[in-house]
Amino acid sequence: MNGTISHIVVVGANSAGWIAACALRRAFRHRGLEVTVVDTAAASGPRVRWTLPSQRGMHVMLGINEAEFIGATGATFRLASEHRGWQGEGSRFMHAHGELGSDLSGTPFYKYLLNEAIEGRPASGDDFSVATLAARQGRFARPIGEGDALTASFTYGFHLEEPAYGEFLRQHAAKLGIKTIDEVLIEVELSGSGDIAALRLANDQRVVADLYVDCSGPQAAVIGRLTAGERDDWTQWLPCDRMLSGVMPAHPSAPALTQTTATAAGWLWRAPTAAHTHAGYVYCSRFLDDDTARGALSAALSGVADLRVENLRAGRRLNPWVRNCVAIGAAAIELEPLIGADLHGAQLGISALIELFPVGSGSAVEAAEYNRVMHEYGDGLRDFTLAHYHLGAARAGALWNAIRATPLPPRLAHKIDLFSANGRIHMYDFESFEETDWAWLFMGARQVPSALELQIHARVAQIRPEQVAPLREYVQRLVQSMPPHMEFVRRFGARSLQPSN
Amino acid sequence: MRPPLRIVIVGGGTAGWMTAAAFASVLKPEQRQIHLIESSEIGIVGVGEATLPHIRYFNKRIGIDERELMAKTQATFKLGIEFVDWARLGDSYIHPFGAYGSRIGGVPFHQYWLRQHRRGDAAPIEDYSLAIVAARMGKFTLPSEDPSAVLSTFGYAFQFDASLYAAHLRGFSEARGVKRTDAKIVDVQLRGTDGWIESVKLDDGSTVTGDLFIDCSGFRGLLIEQALKTGYDEWTRWLPCDRAMAVPCENVGPLTPYTRATAREAGWQWRIPLQHRTGNGYVYSSQFISDDEAAAKLLSRLDGKALADPRPLRFTAGRRRKTWNRNCVAIGLAGGFLEPLESTSIHLIQVAITTLLDYITGSNEFDPRIVDGYNRWIEMEYDRVRDFLILHYHATERSDAPIWNYCRTMDVPDSLRHKMELFRQRARVVTYKDGLFLEPSWLAVYFGQRVMPTGYDPLADALPPADLTSKLQAVRDQVHGAVAAMPRHEDFLAQYCPAQKTAMVGKP
Repeated sequence: MNGTISHIVVVGANSAGWIAACALRRAFRHRGLEVTVVDTAAASGPRVRWTLPSQRGMHVMLGINEAEFIGATGATFRLASEHRGWQGEGSRFMHAHGELGSDLSGTPFYKYLLNEAIEGRPASGDDFSVATLAARQGRFARPIGEGDALTASFTYGFHLEEPAYGEFLRQHAAKLGIKTIDEVLIEVELSGSGDIAALRLANDQRVVADLYVDCSGPQAAVIGRLTAGERDDWTQWLPCDRMLSGVMPAHPSAPALTQTTATAAGWLWRAPTAAHTHAGYVYCSRFLDDDTARGALSAALSGVADLRVENLRAGRRLNPWVRNCVAIGAAAIELEPLIGADLHGAQLGISALIELFPVGSGSAVEAAEYNRVMHEYGDGLRDFTLAHYHLGAARAGALWNAIRATPLPPRLAHKIDLFSANGRIHMYDFESFEETDWAWLFMGARQVPSALELQIHARVAQIRPEQVAPLREYVQRLVQSMPPHMEFVRRFGARSLQPSN
Repeated sequence: MRPPLRIVIVGGGTAGWMTAAAFASVLKPEQRQIHLIESSEIGIVGVGEATLPHIRYFNKRIGIDERELMAKTQATFKLGIEFVDWARLGDSYIHPFGAYGSRIGGVPFHQYWLRQHRRGDAAPIEDYSLAIVAARMGKFTLPSEDPSAVLSTFGYAFQFDASLYAAHLRGFSEARGVKRTDAKIVDVQLRGTDGWIESVKLDDGSTVTGDLFIDCSGFRGLLIEQALKTGYDEWTRWLPCDRAMAVPCENVGPLTPYTRATAREAGWQWRIPLQHRTGNGYVYSSQFISDDEAAAKLLSRLDGKALADPRPLRFTAGRRRKTWNRNCVAIGLAGGFLEPLESTSIHLIQVAITTLLDYITGSNEFDPRIVDGYNRWIEMEYDRVRDFLILHYHATERSDAPIWNYCRTMDVPDSLRHKMELFRQRARVVTYKDGLFLEPSWLAVYFGQRVMPTGYDPLADALPPADLTSKLQAVRDQVHGAVAAMPRHEDFLAQYCPAQKTAMVGKP
């Protein structure tokens, strides 16, 4: 790769691809950067995605108006995930996109709850969090203000429906002057040096670019030509390899919540959009065959139709940036959708590429830094997913036994060990999920440490229930003032959407 | 209620008394029982006399009044460190406690500076740092708390007499119930079952038992090494200096609000101005100069008359393999040694203390998961400081002395090589969440030691040229305007924290 980058080809006309194209174009339009998106006719990808709050930031970066996007795509909001049965039948907890209580003069609120649990008075954080309570009551409003205000104590992600979201992004890309070639990729041409020289498409088309961004999904149609087999396999930790998905009629009072329910061989999920209720089953084929899975999904959620099955394969590409090709999204990292991070993973790649956009001659140094940073981020996403399976009481079942019998990656083991010893959450350099997210997870799974840090203990042991009671009341009152979630969604006109499947 | 944790601190230098003061202040009396053993017959090294801005948070957290402390320790203010002759003879740069400009559109300021520099139209990077401009002009005032004010873009630390700091902390600690015994340790008893330290025997015949033993005994590591044989990782191949000569001299000229480190023929020389005298030292490698010659060179390069004979010190750069081993935590020189080039000695003591306080529970069984977590954290802190120090030695063009030829051509750790390559390519600083030195520190040393990037972040091209020129000019104007209105450092000291005159003060 030499000189200035003036043309980028993004392979993959899907949401990750459109986002990559739009973000790159917007960041470097001042340098006259041209971006072309090529369709690969790859598998269509999921019909629904649940996302992290970082999607809001991405929309700002792309210049997308949120009201317009909600109205046009039938997306809904997402304050939390509710996980049922992960620590055994009857267990359930929320992981909310918001604060867990409010700081007690500099000490995180969860430390108070941990102390209560250590002392044998376990209490849930749900009553002290706007996000969890609103999610449970089916209410929603956007956060207002900043700082310590309770009205600013939460954020949200989305439930995105495909292909509506992808179509919306396609139109946005067109407005930004991004060209689209709707021809199937036939072949990746390599130059003598080993770089990509061009892409050969159907109908004798040939595209040449300075940089190739591979958003073709798990098949990694472009970067796969440059490196063979250089993949970190994570299936020993995350063995679920199938996802069944289907649709049901929309629920008129659906909460801003993604629900999962653990079973003996995986987990069922349910996610609302304006036009549908999406449902599915992530499972491990070693322990459950596809037909039985279909039966189980239908039994759990009557009326689920249009079932589709796809393969999952947890892992990542060791070097997502090789020569003049950068893999982004599922071409770089694949995880089951539990934590809602697939577009977030793509976003991390896009942001890192923009920050390390090649200058001058060669990009080996940038690629090395990009690969280092993405490796760290990838570890964090893997660990957060995996922690769901390992924290708290063990669920019965062959899948769960197999997962719990596999030694954890050392960095996650250390995080859980330290927490279990003194209630401290160790944070690494590049983690998408913050201390509060981990606190939701540890607390929710009822992973109780054997003791607390001495200093923290001195502070929280003095707090009496009547001191925290007002917070519970404020949270209740605020949530009472919020409109029902689906009413909020319908304000943007999404009710006029017809089912797209 | 658990019984109080019995903490035995061995050694009463800076490390020992900082530890005692922090534990006594942060933990409640019913949570701890602290016993410090020091011998008035053993001298203390009194590591460094220059500090980093973090010490202010430490003092604040334990409840030390800053003005009183400064007055009692003959302290002056410190805005940064001047490095002289490091890349080339005749060079000078300041590593400031503060930023260069501020981000524009999310892109670091220095990227815009580089763009303008390429057009041949940028003032030196120093002109965009309030801390540097104030330091060069001998000015000082306290930073503003208004984040939009240019006066909020810097921090400060102290240059003080570390032995007076230890003495001040001793009074502070004893007032909070720390017991002190003046005795030497003659024996360390280990528990038969697991080799944990059970007690130490003193030369007055008494025996002191405890739950947690904190080794602040200095280089020799009385507990961590002599008793527990923990082992030490040496870093001499990257940081070859292994000796120092230290000597105070009379003050001459105005008190500079910064420390100076001058590269020399076999190492480097420090100069730290205090209210009553100037501290000096020559850190050198015994491979490249003899002790006598080092002492002579040092004495010939003082600002004023020497106030004592040069005092020799010996050390080995590196880190104890585990600074927490069994029920013993090594803090200060017993835990590791990194030369005081970036004033990190007291800081590393502070990190050890605050991390230990963050990690321990009230149990005296010291869960191995906690010990492991602590050791990982301390290792990371040392390793990151190490890389930053190596950069100073390695990024040089000097070829006038064997030590510089060695350092210029040596292999550096991969982590540092990658950082330097990325900076050369596109002026990107590799940052991390934890660890001491942030972007401005790396920028100061890279630019100051002529690691000039060939490219810059293309996002900085989004600003139209006329806007770029006017924005840069505005930063310079703000910085120079603010510094012009600041008082002289000496005047500020005189009204803020004048120290008592002592017998050691030179001529008026």
